[in-house]
Amino acid sequence: MISVKKVDNRPLNLLERLYLPEIARGLLVTTRHFFVNLFNPKGMPTVQYPEKTIPLPHAARTRTRHRLKVRADGSPKCVACFMCQTACPAYCIRIEAAEYPDNSVEKYPAVFDIDLSRCVMCGMCVEACPEDAIAMDTLEIPGGALTRSEMLMTREDLLRNLPGEAPSVLGASNRLANEYLKSKGEQ
Amino acid sequence: MTATLLAHKDLLLFIGAAALKVLVFLNGVMGFTALLTLAERKVSALMQDRVGPNRASIFGLALNGLFHPVADGIKMLVKEDFVPGRADKLLFALAPFFALVPVMALFALIPFGDYVMVFGYRLDLVIAQVPLGVFLVLALSGLAIYGVFLGGWASGNNFTLLGALRGAAQMVSYEVVLGLTLVGLMMIYGTAGLQDLVRAQGKLLFGFVPAWGIVVQPLGFVLFLTAAIAENKRTPFDLVEGESEIIGYFMEYSSMRFAAFMFSEFVEIILVSMLSATLFFGGWQVPYLYDTGFVLPGGAALPLNHYLVAALQVASFSAKTVFFSWFLLVVRWTLPRFRFDQLMTLCWKRLLPLALFNILLTGAALLALGKL
Amino acid sequence: MPKITIDGKTAEVAKGTTVLQAAQALGIVIPRYCYHPSLSISGNCRMCLVEVEKSPKLLTACSTEAADGMVVRTDSDKVKAARRDVLEYLLINHPLDCPICDQAGECGLQDYYMEHSRAKSRFPQEDKVRRQKRRALGPHLVLDNERCILCTRCVRFCSEVTKTSELEVMERGDHSYIDLKQGKALDNGYTLNLADICPVGAWTSRDFRFKQRVWFLKRTPTVCLGCATGCLMEAHHNDGVLYRLVPRPNAETNTWLCDHGRMTYKAVRAGDRLAKGVIKNGLIELEPALREAAGRIDENHPAAAVLGSPWLSVEDNAALARLAKDAIKTENFCFDFPGAQGVKDGILINEDPAPNARGARLVKDAYGGIALEELRARIVDGRVKTVVTEARAAAFVRDAVKASGARLIVFATNRADIPPAAYATLPYACYFEVPGTFVNFQGLRRRAEPSVAAPEGVRPLWALVNRLAAYSGASLHLDSAADALKEIVFK
Repeated sequence: MISVKKVDNRPLNLLERLYLPEIARGLLVTTRHFFVNLFNPKGMPTVQYPEKTIPLPHAARTRTRHRLKVRADGSPKCVACFMCQTACPAYCIRIEAAEYPDNSVEKYPAVFDIDLSRCVMCGMCVEACPEDAIAMDTLEIPGGALTRSEMLMTREDLLRNLPGEAPSVLGASNRLANEYLKSKGEQ
Repeated sequence: MTATLLAHKDLLLFIGAAALKVLVFLNGVMGFTALLTLAERKVSALMQDRVGPNRASIFGLALNGLFHPVADGIKMLVKEDFVPGRADKLLFALAPFFALVPVMALFALIPFGDYVMVFGYRLDLVIAQVPLGVFLVLALSGLAIYGVFLGGWASGNNFTLLGALRGAAQMVSYEVVLGLTLVGLMMIYGTAGLQDLVRAQGKLLFGFVPAWGIVVQPLGFVLFLTAAIAENKRTPFDLVEGESEIIGYFMEYSSMRFAAFMFSEFVEIILVSMLSATLFFGGWQVPYLYDTGFVLPGGAALPLNHYLVAALQVASFSAKTVFFSWFLLVVRWTLPRFRFDQLMTLCWKRLLPLALFNILLTGAALLALGKL
Repeated sequence: MPKITIDGKTAEVAKGTTVLQAAQALGIVIPRYCYHPSLSISGNCRMCLVEVEKSPKLLTACSTEAADGMVVRTDSDKVKAARRDVLEYLLINHPLDCPICDQAGECGLQDYYMEHSRAKSRFPQEDKVRRQKRRALGPHLVLDNERCILCTRCVRFCSEVTKTSELEVMERGDHSYIDLKQGKALDNGYTLNLADICPVGAWTSRDFRFKQRVWFLKRTPTVCLGCATGCLMEAHHNDGVLYRLVPRPNAETNTWLCDHGRMTYKAVRAGDRLAKGVIKNGLIELEPALREAAGRIDENHPAAAVLGSPWLSVEDNAALARLAKDAIKTENFCFDFPGAQGVKDGILINEDPAPNARGARLVKDAYGGIALEELRARIVDGRVKTVVTEARAAAFVRDAVKASGARLIVFATNRADIPPAAYATLPYACYFEVPGTFVNFQGLRRRAEPSVAAPEGVRPLWALVNRLAAYSGASLHLDSAADALKEIVFK
């Protein structure tokens, strides 16, 4: 539903063309805001982030700080396919792929950096991920850092499952990993 | 030695008193300017339902942003002082002074109180008593154009030059209106000295209305304030700088040189506030307060100590200055910017005829009242 | 001359032309997996099925010869259905592990699926036949049998091009897979071509493995400098880093590229890459090194010699010739490199390991100079006391320098190339970093184009020569590589 605002484009009347009454009206509005806020600072909507936070509204909950999902054995679910890096419009993801010597899932990210100071929180990486390995459901809003390095999330910062979450087993390339974990369990 | 000193006692006392006044008054102005840079951001924040800067802190003590001017000062000091390769080095260095010095000099003319008796000597609470103060004010404020124009031209950049041209055109135009709006005042009070003007405003009209400029020259005040804001290059007339959108004359300036331009703008706010108070709101006058104390129109009187009276007068002047400074900030954050053609139309086609009409009206009224 | 109509377009083609080739000539693309223009026709993948009028069944375009009056349709519903079904069939056992597959982005299965099928598979993921994944075969390759669609391009390559026949299809039907024959090793010097011709991700390069996704790669056409054959190739690079070299098939020289040639890019980012000058094993900034080299040359101009190099471009050789003639003003310069040239293994590898002996001959034609034997003799009998040359070319005078103790000033890109006898070494930018002209063994002019930037402070050789001449008090006016070419006549 698009809301349409009708603009009244009638010509100005004499009082309005004199400027001064209109200026006074404008000044009245701003002055009112000034004094209301001066004597009632609590009424302002500003939240002193990051010291204070408020519960996120529903629409904002779908895209919060990234995490990389973890398999049952603690290895990253990510297989370093570079889909998120390709999809990222802000070029904030940097991946370096490597190979497990024993695990039959050949590829894993040796480096997985997300530069949050560049990230635009668009969620394209989550959309692009074919392995259900990256998610933006931590309900943490990144920001409020004093140095750039604080905004750089490395693989170690990203790797975690949510409390109570069972390790995800989705994804075609994770078939091998699931089998590998199963065979290890049977031994 | 002593004899020589004694011979020149009056001169030495005069110099000493003047130095003391400069020290106290200018320091007060400077401190207030620093606070004003913070106030500008705080006032705009409150008007827009924001909190404004509140993060700068010393040992964890933020005091709601009180240290931001200090942080700004440190930042300005340690930034790179960049001079463009094609700039005229000498004029580029001089321009910030041209912007700042005439404005600072103007404070010498502002009476911030009547007088105090110190050890039997009469100390006038104005740094320089000039008989034609109003004209000196206009002359010195005209000099500020040099800062703008030299800054823009010496940068060796076409865009700063365009900004400077806009600025010079605007300031020259509004200079005319600014001067004409004050003619009415001088006609009524019959003087051009600022201290005399303030004293004249202490009289009562019809026995109970203070004869302030605003009462006798309401149109003059509106015109003066408009022209003064334009002269000051602040919104809605800030297309000389156009902070973020248009390129201004000090684009190539950085570090303390930029700070000088910035500072001069805030000093000008105080100056305009003081002039408004002095010329139209009775300066240091408090209604019904005389040398001996309050004397109400009904005849009731409250005698006061001389020093208390002087203190009240200085406080009155300060309060008026603070109010106008605040008012200028509110105006700045309320009104949108004019286009350049609108700016010029307003000046030459609206304000100038009105100012001339005001003079005519004042003259006619004086003639009718038989005061000419 | 048979006249054939394909999708309403009629063309007259030579006898023996297949329908697929005729369609290609008409600008109609027929999908294919097993067909490769340089290999024999196998017809096993069934991807190129087309409808031929009066034929009861669809025919494979790759193996059907064009006949007079043949009317072919490649866009009928029947053909489209056939393509969809063939793809579904090929994908029954495909593991769909594109995220961990290096072929993703240049994979025939991905491309044709998007173009011709887009259908959901009716076969469950769990029932797929499992085969061996990730198996290193030979020094350069990894084989993943699960991804293989058994097009046998690799088998045919090994039996027809290299004639070594290492590979074979084992077992039959659903059980068949590609494997090495018993007792063979996959090391024929051309193995990386398998990774190129494999239409899916079964054969992948071990060197390129997981280094970069192919869609990030930028392509620069250039020429291989591995030997005098001068194969045309493409350098794939991203963000200033080279990742792989692949052939640019052409009629004159090459369809393939040998493993040695494909690895030549490694020297560019090797750990021993020179970014500074070397004086007697000690690293030194470039300018002081140049000053030192110039000082040594200036000690005795008539006793200085310049030896060109068949490893350098025509531009850089010409710049060296100008150095000898116009700056040092010596007669001791040599751009004569005799030696056998010709493809020695019947495929690509040349007898002459240096890429530009014929280019150096052009410089000799333009500037003259003495023969290599004469230069050696002059070094031995002490008439030449300082030799300026390129590091690998220094081998031509190694014995003579050793015998007489002459001083050697060389240009080098990598430390490993520096001859032990070198007095001073100056670093220069290689031909992945600066352009250069080469002449291959056939006399064809080949252009090396820069694909990555040279390391900080490393400059092209002609620029170094220009500086050397300036230190010796002469100006060669070399502002670009093209300036050096002014007096060279290409045949």
